[in-house]
Amino acid sequence: MICSFGHEGKFSTHLSRITVIKEDKHGLDYPVLCHQCDVCPPISVCPADALKRNELGVINVNKDACTGCGSCVSTCMFHALKLDKSSKPFTCDLCRGKPICVERCPTKALTYEESETAMSRPEDAFAELLKRWNISG
Amino acid sequence: MAELLGYAGKVLRVDLTRKETTVSKLERDMAADFLGGRGFNSKRLYDEVKSGTDPLGPENRLMFSSGPLVGTMFPTACRFNVSAKSPLTGILGDSNAGGHFAAELKFAGYDQVIFQGSSKDPVYILINDSAVEFKDASHLRGKDVYETDEAIKADLGDRRVQAAIVGPAAENGVRYAGIYANLMRAAARTGMGTVMASKGVKALVVRGTGSIDVADPARFERLVRDIEEEIYGHEQYWPRRRMGTTRILMMANAGGFLPTRHYTSGIFEYAKEVSGERLAEEYNVKTRGCFACTIPCSRFYVVKHGEFAGLSAEGPEYEALGSLTSRVGNRDLNVALKANDMCNRLGLDALTTAECISWAMELYEKGLLERSEADGLDLSWGNGNTILTLIEKIARREGFGDILADGSRAAARKLNKGMDLTMQVKGLDIIMADPRGLKGFGLGYAVASRGGDHLRSEPFIELSDDPKRGEEMFGVPEATLRLAYRGKGKLVSYFEDWCAVIDALEPCKNIMQNMEILTFDRAAEVVEAVTGLKMSAEEVRRAGERIVNIERAYNVREGMSRSDDTLPRRFREESLSEGPSRGTRFEQEPMLDEYYAERGWNRDTGIPTRESLERIDLGYVADELARLGRI
Repeated sequence: MICSFGHEGKFSTHLSRITVIKEDKHGLDYPVLCHQCDVCPPISVCPADALKRNELGVINVNKDACTGCGSCVSTCMFHALKLDKSSKPFTCDLCRGKPICVERCPTKALTYEESETAMSRPEDAFAELLKRWNISG
Repeated sequence: MAELLGYAGKVLRVDLTRKETTVSKLERDMAADFLGGRGFNSKRLYDEVKSGTDPLGPENRLMFSSGPLVGTMFPTACRFNVSAKSPLTGILGDSNAGGHFAAELKFAGYDQVIFQGSSKDPVYILINDSAVEFKDASHLRGKDVYETDEAIKADLGDRRVQAAIVGPAAENGVRYAGIYANLMRAAARTGMGTVMASKGVKALVVRGTGSIDVADPARFERLVRDIEEEIYGHEQYWPRRRMGTTRILMMANAGGFLPTRHYTSGIFEYAKEVSGERLAEEYNVKTRGCFACTIPCSRFYVVKHGEFAGLSAEGPEYEALGSLTSRVGNRDLNVALKANDMCNRLGLDALTTAECISWAMELYEKGLLERSEADGLDLSWGNGNTILTLIEKIARREGFGDILADGSRAAARKLNKGMDLTMQVKGLDIIMADPRGLKGFGLGYAVASRGGDHLRSEPFIELSDDPKRGEEMFGVPEATLRLAYRGKGKLVSYFEDWCAVIDALEPCKNIMQNMEILTFDRAAEVVEAVTGLKMSAEEVRRAGERIVNIERAYNVREGMSRSDDTLPRRFREESLSEGPSRGTRFEQEPMLDEYYAERGWNRDTGIPTRESLERIDLGYVADELARLGRI
């Protein structure tokens, strides 16, 4: 909620750049947002060249250039782009380096860090989990 | 006049007979006088569902409402109220649930949805922002809540829809079937699911991409930050996160008011084995929150061993847990979890189901009911197989289950025995707190507008047993002593007004009321920041009073009066024999006198007076009651 409020001054799950998908049967909640992929299909597929990375590596949308075709939305592998009421895409812009979701997360579950330190290789992360849960082998 | 914010601004009316929908603007007076949620529903129920209406006929109306805070980031503002004339009690019915459904309905643009008429063919209603469709539901008939949710999502190719669903119990006409959102967020009480199914509606499915604006964003954000801080710093934060409401079970047992074996005792010797503490230690794997919740108290559990290994779900809450353990004398936690899961899937109110089963068990144990009358079932206290078998039989209306499927009051009439052992008020069974150990709660059950229920007043402060609070709040120290009688009229009317305001604004009562966060003063501030409506704390409380009074008037019009405000004979005539609440009965008459005086109602009849109604701008209600000769 703070995401849509921070960006648009309105409360809306649709206008939020973070979407939490819920699978109630299994008790799962997982967030969907822009991963800043090295290879970004929406950027390459945009026919109007309206998507560009800024100095943070974040995707910027040039709304004047955008034709509203929606190709970007259908090619994002994480479904992290959405269209607003005028069919222009929007996605997480990391709030110019000061993400409001991190600032306002009351339990400090969200942090903002360089990816090298925040992310480890999957096998290392798995080994870490096994250690934490006291599982051997 | 400034635009009304916070609300979605529209009311959707769905005529199921004609397959037509109409949209109207939310009236400003409605918002200012009744705030939202339960307030909107009760007002419209009074205005549109006349006395004598058949609860399962097309003239009954089923209404869903959220409140002005829902859809914003106000902590815990996620709830919806669903109301209709109840097929279980024959008076005002309503129920309330959390989850993510209500916010989605706001984002789709509606504060209230009203169903009227009934559809010959089974349908589900799909709201996709401003588009509303009647969808064929013939393939969903007989499917349980989980199966229906899955099938609808597959049909629509969208897993983000929010669906409020009825199960087979509702379709089979069990009179205490609920409506389920997010699979197990149950609006279970008073048979609202039964009404929905009687209208031919299997589900209300919503997808909303709109947004909610608030009147004063900066002030609103400050209020939210303050409230968040208070919640995170509250002593109840971690116990609630760890155990949710299930923490109450051991507290009630310690106080000697945990209903055990159908209220024949207030202490369950196996309480520890079925406690919230045990669930937290051995079963729970994570916590989840409802929409905008800062204190996620819903626990996701997994059964790890035994016959039901692999069973997993959210919950249970205290009422379901206690009902399916101590109330029926069951010490096997796995059986209780299985039973609760069955109730959720079949779409049954776990509380009323447990009342019916425990009532039958008491008759059997007392030699008043033969095995042969109950399909050969062994109805000994706590028999797990019998409990699970009966849940299935009730939902299918098979054999003895058919007898129990209309509630314990109706079952006693059908069998022509055991009426004075039914633990209900006005047809709705009493919740899991023995009123002999909590006099204010008991008064609340007696006068509650939907029958024997605590959520209309829940004067939790009584549990403090601290006379200073009573002195401070009501000038009567005894008001907050749980075994005392004096001051309870003041206590209960204050808490009833407060509950009505919370049920209208639709945040979580557990947090906003029980943790004393959203007081009348603060509610006035929040309402202004969100909606732009300028209201004093007194005016907010008056909205609560208006809700309580219009509900009372609804029931008066259905023939209720003081003689119906009574607890079952057992509480009035028998005392508890052990524990801290032993030796005391429930003496209701002096408390009722005090309560009616506090409300300004007629002491002899319990009916609102013209003056009491006019004081809160309900003159038109007084006119109607006068025409009917009730005042």
